[in-house]
Amino acid sequence: MANIGSVVSKFYSEYSIKTPKKMKIIDAYLLYILLTGIVQFVYCLLVGTFPFNSFLSGFISTVGSFVLAVCLRLQVNPENKNQFQDISPERGYADFIFAHVVLHLVVMNFIG
Amino acid sequence: MFWYTFLGYFLFTYLTYGVQASVEGYISPSDNKKFLSVLIKSLSGDNVDLSGIYNGVIGLKLLNEQIGSEIAKKNCEYIQKSFKDDEDPEIIFHVFTAWSKLGCSGKIHKEDTLKFLRNVLTKEKSSLSDLRFSVEALKAVGENAPNPAKISQLLQSKLKEDDSLQSLGHALHASVHLGSHGKFALDRVEDIVVQLDEVNGKLLQWEGGLSTTSLLLTGLLNLEGIKPLTQIQADKIANYLLTRKTVQTSKGIVVLLEAIKALTSSSVSPVSIGVIGKPSVSIEKPELKVRVSDLLGSPLKPVPGPVVAVSATRVVDDVVVLSKKPLSAGSGPTEFTLPLLLDPDHYQIVLSAGSHTVNLHVRVLGPVNIKSFEIGLADVDGTSGTQLTKLDFPNKLTKGLQADSSHLLISKFSLSRSVHQTFLRLHSPKKEIIFIAEVDSNKLYKIEVNINSEFTYSGVFDMELILGDPVMSNPIKWNLGKIDINLGKTEPELKSTKGPKPEIKHLFRQAEKRPSTTVSLLFSILTAAPLLLLLILWLKIGLNFSNFSVISLPFHLGFGSILCLFLCFWLKLDMFTTCAWLIPLGIFTFLSGHKVLSKIANSKKSEKKD
Repeated sequence: MANIGSVVSKFYSEYSIKTPKKMKIIDAYLLYILLTGIVQFVYCLLVGTFPFNSFLSGFISTVGSFVLAVCLRLQVNPENKNQFQDISPERGYADFIFAHVVLHLVVMNFIG
Repeated sequence: MFWYTFLGYFLFTYLTYGVQASVEGYISPSDNKKFLSVLIKSLSGDNVDLSGIYNGVIGLKLLNEQIGSEIAKKNCEYIQKSFKDDEDPEIIFHVFTAWSKLGCSGKIHKEDTLKFLRNVLTKEKSSLSDLRFSVEALKAVGENAPNPAKISQLLQSKLKEDDSLQSLGHALHASVHLGSHGKFALDRVEDIVVQLDEVNGKLLQWEGGLSTTSLLLTGLLNLEGIKPLTQIQADKIANYLLTRKTVQTSKGIVVLLEAIKALTSSSVSPVSIGVIGKPSVSIEKPELKVRVSDLLGSPLKPVPGPVVAVSATRVVDDVVVLSKKPLSAGSGPTEFTLPLLLDPDHYQIVLSAGSHTVNLHVRVLGPVNIKSFEIGLADVDGTSGTQLTKLDFPNKLTKGLQADSSHLLISKFSLSRSVHQTFLRLHSPKKEIIFIAEVDSNKLYKIEVNINSEFTYSGVFDMELILGDPVMSNPIKWNLGKIDINLGKTEPELKSTKGPKPEIKHLFRQAEKRPSTTVSLLFSILTAAPLLLLLILWLKIGLNFSNFSVISLPFHLGFGSILCLFLCFWLKLDMFTTCAWLIPLGIFTFLSGHKVLSKIANSKKSEKKD
């Protein structure tokens, strides 16, 4: 157990030092969405899916946002620069915003 | 053996030869009345036309009815007004005939019309009906057809092209007016008679219905010097014509009456023998009235011979009860009476008038008397004796019967002769039940009703004895009195099955039960909680707002307003309104965002360069 503890603490310290600040912000955002999605899912398991379209649109919203945020993180990450040569972080951010607008238009339509 | 058979056959043919069946129906006064009303309507109705007037006038003449001078005058005026030298010889013929029959004053025909008719008679193109009506129209105004030899040739050449029944009929009618040149028609007679169609062995007609049959029949019978039809054929044609008594139009009535008139005035005039009134007599009035007349109901001329009841046989067992009894003359010239002093039953009577015979089915009715009648109750198990009360028709029971489930209702009776229908009917205002009497070998009728098995509920019923028979002159319906049946159970009130059904109200789908407010609220908070965590984490990581400048404000405003729009979309707007708003907002946000982000990118590039 101690081993795992040391691994975790080492991982955390490495993460704190090596990860750029921007990445950390996105990671915090991802964590937030993950938790929200989990809460929704737990609610669905405990209470029930009625009204189903509302649950579904909420869950789609979290899942969609998570995926979009991961994409943004991939594009913005300096380590992946070779793979996304043509795409500047700003371009990535604009795509992220545009995708969000479309996603939530659908979500709002579905939420009922 | 062979000789006997031959002799028998010879005798049979000899006996049946010369014996003709007759016709049963005739044009009765009620038919005449019906025809008259139709014909008068065609003369004085609202939609009179020239052919209608012709039919009305001819029909009334055929019925021997006078035309009122008022009506005649009106129709003359109408003809004068609407006859415009028609191009159709048939109409011209109708007008000329109606004009002369109505006795209108003056002349309807002009020289031009006659010229036109004469012209028709010379043209190769004229049809057979045109030729016929032209000849007849000329005849109607007292003119002879010009050049009958030429017309005869024309008719014959036309018949070579088209020898349908209709054409033959018109040719026959035309040929009558051509004197010796009309002889060609005689060669056609056999051909026409052969084309008669037989229906069910009883009717004869020419294909094409009443009008064709009438056309050909009158044509044939107008021919001089031949006897085209045998008596049997004439009778069968008469039968066919009588089936068409139901015609409704004035034209139909005229062709029917023309045909019947032609038949009755011919040498083969069918003899109509039938019963006057109902074909039944009673013991009290045993005279059977028989009518012997021609098809129009007039006395026969010449009288075919004495009217004799050849035989009368009982239908049940073929026993001959009467033979060769002459009928005495009745009140009219066509009426004959035959007293039938016979036992009540069904009889088949063969009547003959000269060589004409007819089979009549006649009933002789007689009264039935109730010789004895008893009714009462008995125990099912036979413990106590049967108590039957004697009753005389038409008395009632003085005291009603009191029955319960242990009883049998018994009725015994005897009649002066057996009858077909013997019923005991028990009825209350809402129910009835009918029992059939059985007859035993002593001709004693008996009805036995087991109260327990036939009835379910208590009730008071009226009892009724019903006796009936086709040859019974006094059908009996005898109210016997009341019976009170007590079974300890009264009938439950029946609900009416009629009436409006309950209204169907539309039901919306019931919403499922929602979780309680506490749970909902708790989870709302839980869902929102990570947002707080996010803010804490971001603060901890340290967001820098250093890059935030006034220039990026429009972008944030635009994006914020899009999110607000989505909120409104969720709460109240529909998709179309949302999209309409989204387009300008999106464009604005895109432009401002582009500006901000490109500025950031540029500043980064310049930093790198530096």
